[in-house]
Amino acid sequence: MIDTTMKKLIAFSLSLVLIIGSITSCENELPTHLNFSAYKFSDLDTDGGNWQPILFASSSTIVINSPAAVNSPEYQAELADLKSTAQNLSGSQVESVAYWTNNPIIRWNEIALELAAKYNLIPPPNPDGTYTLPSAANPAGPPPFPFAHPPYTSRMLAYLSVAQFDGLITAWHYKYEYNRPAPYETDSDIPYAYAKNSLPSYPSDGAVIAVVSRDILKAMFPLEHDYLNALAEEHLNSLKWSGSNTTSDIEAGKVIGTAVKTAALARASTDKMSAAQTPKPISDAIKQSAFDRFGWSWDNQESPVRPVGLTPAFGQVTMWNVPNVVDVRPVPPPAPGSSEFEKDAQELRDFAKNLTTNQRKIANWWSDGLGTYTPPGHWNRRTKEYIVKYELNPLRSARTFAYLNMAVMDAGIACWDAKYYYHYPRPIQTMPGFKTILGTPNFPSYTSGHSTFSGAAAEVLAYIFPAEAAAVRDWAIEAAESRIYGGIHYRFDSEAGLVQGRAVASYTIARAEADGAD
Amino acid sequence: MKKILLLQVFCIGFVTSVLSQTFSDAIMMKKKEICFAFIYDQGTWDQYWEGTNLITNENIGTFTRSTYMPMIAYGITDKLNVLLSTPYVSTKSDGGQLAGVQGFQDVNVALKYEIIKKDFGKHRVSALAVAQFGTPMSNYLSDYMPYSLGLGTQEFTGRVIGQYEFNKMIYLRASAAYVWRGQTEVERPYYYNNGSYYTTYMDVPNAVNYQVILGGWAFKQSLRMEAFYNIMNSVEGDDIRRWNMPQPTNKMEATQAGFFAQYYFKSIKPIKGFSLMASYNQVLEGRNVGKATNLGVGITYQFTF
Repeated sequence: MIDTTMKKLIAFSLSLVLIIGSITSCENELPTHLNFSAYKFSDLDTDGGNWQPILFASSSTIVINSPAAVNSPEYQAELADLKSTAQNLSGSQVESVAYWTNNPIIRWNEIALELAAKYNLIPPPNPDGTYTLPSAANPAGPPPFPFAHPPYTSRMLAYLSVAQFDGLITAWHYKYEYNRPAPYETDSDIPYAYAKNSLPSYPSDGAVIAVVSRDILKAMFPLEHDYLNALAEEHLNSLKWSGSNTTSDIEAGKVIGTAVKTAALARASTDKMSAAQTPKPISDAIKQSAFDRFGWSWDNQESPVRPVGLTPAFGQVTMWNVPNVVDVRPVPPPAPGSSEFEKDAQELRDFAKNLTTNQRKIANWWSDGLGTYTPPGHWNRRTKEYIVKYELNPLRSARTFAYLNMAVMDAGIACWDAKYYYHYPRPIQTMPGFKTILGTPNFPSYTSGHSTFSGAAAEVLAYIFPAEAAAVRDWAIEAAESRIYGGIHYRFDSEAGLVQGRAVASYTIARAEADGAD
Repeated sequence: MKKILLLQVFCIGFVTSVLSQTFSDAIMMKKKEICFAFIYDQGTWDQYWEGTNLITNENIGTFTRSTYMPMIAYGITDKLNVLLSTPYVSTKSDGGQLAGVQGFQDVNVALKYEIIKKDFGKHRVSALAVAQFGTPMSNYLSDYMPYSLGLGTQEFTGRVIGQYEFNKMIYLRASAAYVWRGQTEVERPYYYNNGSYYTTYMDVPNAVNYQVILGGWAFKQSLRMEAFYNIMNSVEGDDIRRWNMPQPTNKMEATQAGFFAQYYFKSIKPIKGFSLMASYNQVLEGRNVGKATNLGVGITYQFTF
């Protein structure tokens, strides 16, 4: 009797182990960053030092002194120091070298997206029904500063990428002016962790990236100084652990990084972003003008009602490449109640009733809402994957992100101009009782931000990666469509947004085509 | 004593009770006995814990989760029972604009094995083990909390139960379980969980479950009444961020107390074999879950096959 019980128990236990095993064995590894190894650059862009920067008159505006000669005692001492460092790495140092790779533009872009997602939280109501807005003057809050919503994130990424780009153009200029060979070329006993190439090592491109990225992100995320300092410290150290750069290479890179971030933050301080979140009287006046002009206006539908929409004056922020935001302002949307409106409103009701699984998936795939890296972040993530696929060097990578993110920020500015100029009500406002599967954001409907961001991003990527043009344009259309499936935009919002985004990108691309890189 | 299937449905409210549904009593059906049950459970809340902070959100208002659960149990032997259930869930809220959802949630199958049953005069000691496996019945979206039907993951529960029955009148029962949960596939390619995740998969935290039940029989063992205390805690996970949506990676904790009653029709001819049950429970303490009040009613019918 006992034996049968025991046998049953053993059989029972064995089957449990099998089931638990099957649950855990199908678990996927969950990547926290792009898994790729350092790669050989497809091109070094040896003329990159002649490209036109964004913030500076030329690549030699920042002055970097010539380095000590290769056979000088001080450089020889640096090489000896580098050799002993790079030959004696701990396990964590080896991991660090593998993480940062020879294209750390990728990692700093990921860090930026992570902070965007961390800070993309909408301020909650106070117990009395009022709202307290984040304040740069009191970043700890509550609520903490910033609220990294899509306009904020688009701007953060634009400054980060432009500063990285200008810094690397300057670095490339001096690299090929001074032509200091890589440490392993001078001393073949110095191990080099990445794929060898003929890029001169002075000034260190990695140090430019580390300093400029750290400092731009510190300005954008004032509560993250410790985190960013630690990351930059590790990155700078990894330049030695990997055998990439000596101390003087790194110090010269830091000088460039500091000069570029100073110029970038000077522009940021006067780009009118600080006035984008207007006080209520201005917000009310904007709404009233729209009502006087068109006979409609948007109202926040949350409870308690948010008194001011998101950044009503973001449309007045200084653009990178569009001379005047009105140049890319779309035609007016159809009036609520018009037959054109009713057609698109009916489409939303139909989707709400009969959404396919695939349509739901598209809505969620592109939702990029609160708590995420936002649509600008989504396009940066795709861009990053192309950069690795096409094995771009750091300069070419920075250029790609710079034009992408200038276009995306300009698209955001253009879109926000339209949103508050037209002040168009959302579907949940025009169709009382309408239910959605995505949360409706706190700003007017026309044009769709996702569509505008995506239209612009896709055109820049199609320009830089012509072989991917069809794919990225399809994605932009899918992103625009996703908002309709989600019930938060009419089709005319999305279509106008795509057109507007593409129009913005044409200015960006015109500038890119003239920067000497093509 | 007629052996009748008894179910307890705990509704955690924020996600689903039925996921944590416990086949946790000490009663076994005899060989070839079969029992059909249908249970309706409604959980409502208008406050939830954001992390450990209890808040209200007028954009949700009052949240309601309704669960309709058909169930079959069968006595393979006197000592081994199998149980199968497929809850249908519907969710809605009366605030905000987010649409509720409805559909079949997970199919759950459990094996219950009686390890020990020993009488000491009028007292009885019993010990049982339950193994339960659940898996989603459709590709419902788990990443739509609190409206989602369930956690969208495979789940395996291993449970042990011990009971002491005094005088065939009053019993004290305790059970402990560990719930292994797999991953859930969501529809967005990126999410934040104290850091970036570039994937459509989320780890759903494992959980532990402890219960203590004091029960008794009345009316010649036709009425059974129980008071219970239940703790269901994720062993890891992140907190809902400020004014943000919950997600399946959250560390969910709920402490509930409640009552349960079941009346068996033993002698009334046309309805012999039927029973009716009712339950009430309240979430007292929680983390990343709704402060739900749950009301349940059910009917069972049992016969020998």
